[in-house]
Amino acid sequence: MKPSTYFPFSAFILLLSFSSCQKVIKVNLNNAASQYVIEANVTDQPGPYTVTITKSVNFDQDNTYPTVSGATVVITDNTANVTDTLKEATPGNYNTSVLTGVSGHKYSLYVNTASNTFTSSSTMPSAVPLDSLYTQLSPFGSRREVVPVYTDPVAKGNNYHFVEVKNDSVLSAIYIRNDNLVNGRQISEPLNGSDGGSPVLPGDVVVVYLECIDSAVYQYFYGLQQSGNANSASPANPVSNITGGCLGYFSAHTASAKSVVVQ
Amino acid sequence: MSNYIKAVIAFLALVYSIHAGAQTKYTVSGTIRDKKNGETLIGATIRVANNATLGTTTNEYGFYSLTLPTGNYKLLVDYAGYQEQEINVTPDKHTGMDVSMPAQETQLKEVTVSSKANKITSAQTGMDKLDIKEINMVPVIFGEKDVLKTIQLLPGVQSAGDGSSGFYVRGGAADQNLILLDDALVYNPSHLLGFFSTFNSDAIKDVTIYKGTAPAQYGGRLSSVLDVKMNDGNDQDYHISGGIGLISSKLDVEGPLVKDEGSFLITARRTYADLFLKLSNDTTTKKTKLYFYDLNAKLNYKLSKKDRLYLSGYFGQDDLGLGSIFGINWGNATGTLRWNHLITDKLFSNLSLIYSDYSYNINVNASGISANIRSEIRDWNVKEELELFANPNNSIRFGFSSVYHTITPGEVSGSGITAINQPDNHTWENAIYITNSWKASKKWNVDYGIRLSAFSVLGGSNLYNLDANGNILDTLHYSSGQIVKTYVIPEPRISASYILNEVSSIKGSYDHNSQYLHLISNSISSNPTDKWVASNNIIKPEQSDQVSIGYFRSLQNDHYEFSAETYYKYMQHEIDYRDDANIVNNNAIEPELLFGNGRAYGLELNMRKKYGKFTGWLSYTLSRTELKIDGINNDTWYSASQDRRHNLSVVGIYQISPKWTVSSDFVYYSGNAVTFPSGKYTLNNGFPGTASVNNNYLLYTDRNGGRMPSYNRLDISATKQLKKHKKFSSEVTFGVYNVYGHENPYIIQFRTDPNDPNRTQALQTSLFRWVPSIAYNFKF
Repeated sequence: MKPSTYFPFSAFILLLSFSSCQKVIKVNLNNAASQYVIEANVTDQPGPYTVTITKSVNFDQDNTYPTVSGATVVITDNTANVTDTLKEATPGNYNTSVLTGVSGHKYSLYVNTASNTFTSSSTMPSAVPLDSLYTQLSPFGSRREVVPVYTDPVAKGNNYHFVEVKNDSVLSAIYIRNDNLVNGRQISEPLNGSDGGSPVLPGDVVVVYLECIDSAVYQYFYGLQQSGNANSASPANPVSNITGGCLGYFSAHTASAKSVVVQ
Repeated sequence: MSNYIKAVIAFLALVYSIHAGAQTKYTVSGTIRDKKNGETLIGATIRVANNATLGTTTNEYGFYSLTLPTGNYKLLVDYAGYQEQEINVTPDKHTGMDVSMPAQETQLKEVTVSSKANKITSAQTGMDKLDIKEINMVPVIFGEKDVLKTIQLLPGVQSAGDGSSGFYVRGGAADQNLILLDDALVYNPSHLLGFFSTFNSDAIKDVTIYKGTAPAQYGGRLSSVLDVKMNDGNDQDYHISGGIGLISSKLDVEGPLVKDEGSFLITARRTYADLFLKLSNDTTTKKTKLYFYDLNAKLNYKLSKKDRLYLSGYFGQDDLGLGSIFGINWGNATGTLRWNHLITDKLFSNLSLIYSDYSYNINVNASGISANIRSEIRDWNVKEELELFANPNNSIRFGFSSVYHTITPGEVSGSGITAINQPDNHTWENAIYITNSWKASKKWNVDYGIRLSAFSVLGGSNLYNLDANGNILDTLHYSSGQIVKTYVIPEPRISASYILNEVSSIKGSYDHNSQYLHLISNSISSNPTDKWVASNNIIKPEQSDQVSIGYFRSLQNDHYEFSAETYYKYMQHEIDYRDDANIVNNNAIEPELLFGNGRAYGLELNMRKKYGKFTGWLSYTLSRTELKIDGINNDTWYSASQDRRHNLSVVGIYQISPKWTVSSDFVYYSGNAVTFPSGKYTLNNGFPGTASVNNNYLLYTDRNGGRMPSYNRLDISATKQLKKHKKFSSEVTFGVYNVYGHENPYIIQFRTDPNDPNRTQALQTSLFRWVPSIAYNFKF
C-alpha cells in the first residue's frame, strides 16, 4: 500500500468533498406584528414623486404585501416653502402634484394613518452626473459587469446610491458608495457583489441611475444591505430616518441615468 | 486602593511566616527528563514512598524541589507513559538529583498504575491536560492533527462550528481565551479562515487548558487559558521526522547543539491545497491562491548547572488571493527569550522577553485603483517569575509582567485612492502577582493568590466623547506617551480540594478576572480582518467573577476517572454591536458598540478511561449564557451567540495490535442562538410601480431570538505502524471526517425562492461531508 499511489485519487476526492452543499430547510421562526413600511423619494427629475405605504407580513406568508390606503401624506419643501398634499393614485401609492425637487432644498415628510403619525426630513445633495456607462468582462471570471463612470467633486462627504434596471426590471441589489478613500477622483468601478442572482448577459439593456443621497439615507441603505447578510452576527432592521416607528426611508436625492446594451 | 496594598502586605507577611517557620531540612532538587530525547517532563510527580503527603510535581521546565528532614528516603518518580523510577536518597546536605525516565516499552500491556491520581488531590479545578500522543490519535479533518480541534472535545469547551478554530469556554466568547505558545500570546490561532489551527502538533510538548480558576501567573482574558509549550529538541541525537498529508506536508529536524548541554528544533509545515485548485476547469478557481505555512524553531543551552537559556519562535503566514486582482495575507509571529536560573535549590527564577505580533495585508488591484490596507497588533512583554519551593506543604510563585501593546488600526495606501494613516494606539498592561499552593492538611489542598493588574491608556491616538446614542460629541487629543487613564483591578483567586477518601474529592474555587483587549468581529465565521481594540475611556475592561464546585472520583484502580463540575460566571462590560454596526471601515469603533453584563452557568460531566488498550472519554455539558446589554432587546436578558444548551463528545482510541490503532469521535451539540428574521417587507429601490425582482427584505424583531439546527458528526481513523527498520519507522493514517455525511449547518440564508417568486425560503449551507484523508508520517 504505497501512499504515492493514493495521491491522484485522493486529490480528486478532496476536490469533490471540498465543495460545500446547500439545501432548503424548515426553520422555526417567530411571528412579528405587522409594521408600516414607507418608501418616499423626491428627486431632481420632473415629478410626480411617489410615496408608497405597505405593511410587513410573516416570513412564511406569500410575497404579497398589504397596501395602506386612506393615509394623509404631505411633503413640504422647507427651503421654498411649498407644501404638497399627496393624492392616492393607486392603493398605497400617493403622488405629488405641485412639488419640484431642487438640490440644496430640505424636504419634510408627514404621514398620518388611522393610528400613527410618521415624520422625516431629507436634504437633497448637489448633483453628480454619470460621465459614461460601459460593460466589460469581469477579471474574476467569465461574467460580464456594468461599469458606471463619474467624477467625485472636490468637496468631501458625497454619498452615492446606484439603481440597476435590467430589461425594464428594477434589480434589488443595493449599491452604495461614499468618497472616503476616493475623494475628488474619477471613479470607474464595476457594479458587482451582492447581485449574484441576476447577472447581466450579452444583449441585455441595462439602465443605471446614479443618485446622490444624504448621509442618513446612506446609513439606511448600508443597514438594509447588512440586514440580508447571512454572515452577519447581528443582523437587524436598518435604522430608518423616519420617526414614529416604521420601516422604510425618505430620500431627497438627485438622479442621473445612462443606458447601455451589454456586449 | 490602599486597602488592596494592605491586603498584599498581609499576604506577603503570611508567605514570609510560612517560609520562616520551616525547620532545618534538606532539599532534593533537579530536572526530570525523557531518557531517550532529553525533553523535560512537565507535571511529573516525585513523592516519598509510603508517605502520601510528602511529594511535589515538576514545573513547566521539568524542575522540582522537595525539602525533607534528614533521613533515608525512597523517592518514586512517575509520569504517564513512562516507567516508574525509584531513587534512594539520604539528604544530609542539599542534593541535586536529575532523573531520566525511560518510556514504557509498549502501551499494550495493562500497566499497573501506582501513583494516585493527581487530579483527585490537587486543588486546581476546571483544568485539563492533553496528552500529545492522544491528540495525534484523535481523528481530525484532512488528517491534520490539531490541538485546538481536539480541546473542543473536552467538557466545557465548545467548538465555534465547522471551519472554525474558535472555541468557547464556559460561555465565554472566542476572544476571551488566553492562547499562549511558549508564553507568547497568539492573537489569531487559525489558518485558512479557521479550518486549521496555528499549532503544528509535531512541535508541541504540552497542552494545558484552564477553564476555571487559573493560577495567578495567568491573566488578561476572562474565560480560559490555553498554555501550549513547544518541544525543546532532542539533546541526545539528531532526528528527522516528517509527514505527508492530503493537503500539507511537514518536516521536523532536531538534535543536540552539544550533547546533554543544549539542543535545537525546527519544524516547518506548508499546505498545498492551491495546487489542486490549479487542476480545476473554472478560471476563477484556477487563479485562486490559497495556502499557509508555519515554522517553529527553538534553541536551548545550558549555560551552567544553574542556568539555562531558551530561544523559541513561531512564524506563520496565510496567503489567499486571486491572480493579481486581490490578495490578503495574514499571520502571527512570536518570539520568546527565556533565562531559567536556579537562585537556590528552592528558588527557581524565570525571566522572559516575549514578542507577539499579528498582522494582515490586503491588496486590491482593479478598476484603476491599487490599494494596500495594513493592520497590526504588536506586543513587547517582560516577565519575571520566581518559584519558591518553601517546604513540602507550600510552593509559592510571584512575579510581574509588563506588556507594551501597539495597535495599528488600518493604514490605507496606494495609488488612485486617498491614503489614510491613523495614529497607532499604544497601551501598557502591567501585573504583579503572588500565589501559593498549600497542602493545608492530609485532607485539604488550597491554592490561593492575587493578581493586581493595571492597564494604562496612552495618548497619541484619537479618543472620543459620545452622547447617549453613540454619536461622537468631540474628539480628544492627548500627546503621545501621556497616560490618559489607568485601570487598576485586583484579581483574587482561590481554589481548594477536600479529599473525601483515597479515590474521591470535592473542589471549589472562586476567581476574579479582567480583560483589557477585545476582538471586534461582527461575523459568524472568523475573519483575518477582525479587529483587536484596547480598552480606553469608553471601552471599559471586561471583568468576571466565577465560582465553581466539582466532584472528582477515580475508579477501578485509577483506570477510570469521573468528574462533575458546575460553574456560575458573572461578567461586566461585555460588548455587543449596535443595529447596523459598521465595523469594517476605518472610522471610530466606539459608536458601533454597546456594553452590558453577562452571566453563564452550566454543568460538565466527564468520564475518562486513562489506561489500557482502549482509552478515551465521554463528556457532556449543559449550559446557558446570556447577555443584558443596554440598547438590545429592550435591555432584557437574551441568549449570547455562543449560548448552546447541550454539548456531547465521545472519543475512543483502541489499539488492536502492535501495528494497528483505530480511533473515533462523535460530536453532538444543540444549536447556537442566532438572529433570524420574523417577517419580511418590500421596497422598490425608489421605483414604485416598476417591475422589480427579489425585492423582499427581512424583518427582525429581536437579537439572537432564533436557534441554529443541531449539529452531529462521527469521525473515524486508523493508523498502521509500517515495518520498522533499524532507525527508521513510519506509519500511515487513514481517516474519514463526518462518516455519515450529515449536512451540518454553517450558515442559513433567507431569500426569495428562485422557483417561486411569490415565496421565501431558508437555505442552509454546509461545509464538509465525507472528507477522507490519508497521511504518511516517518521518523529517523
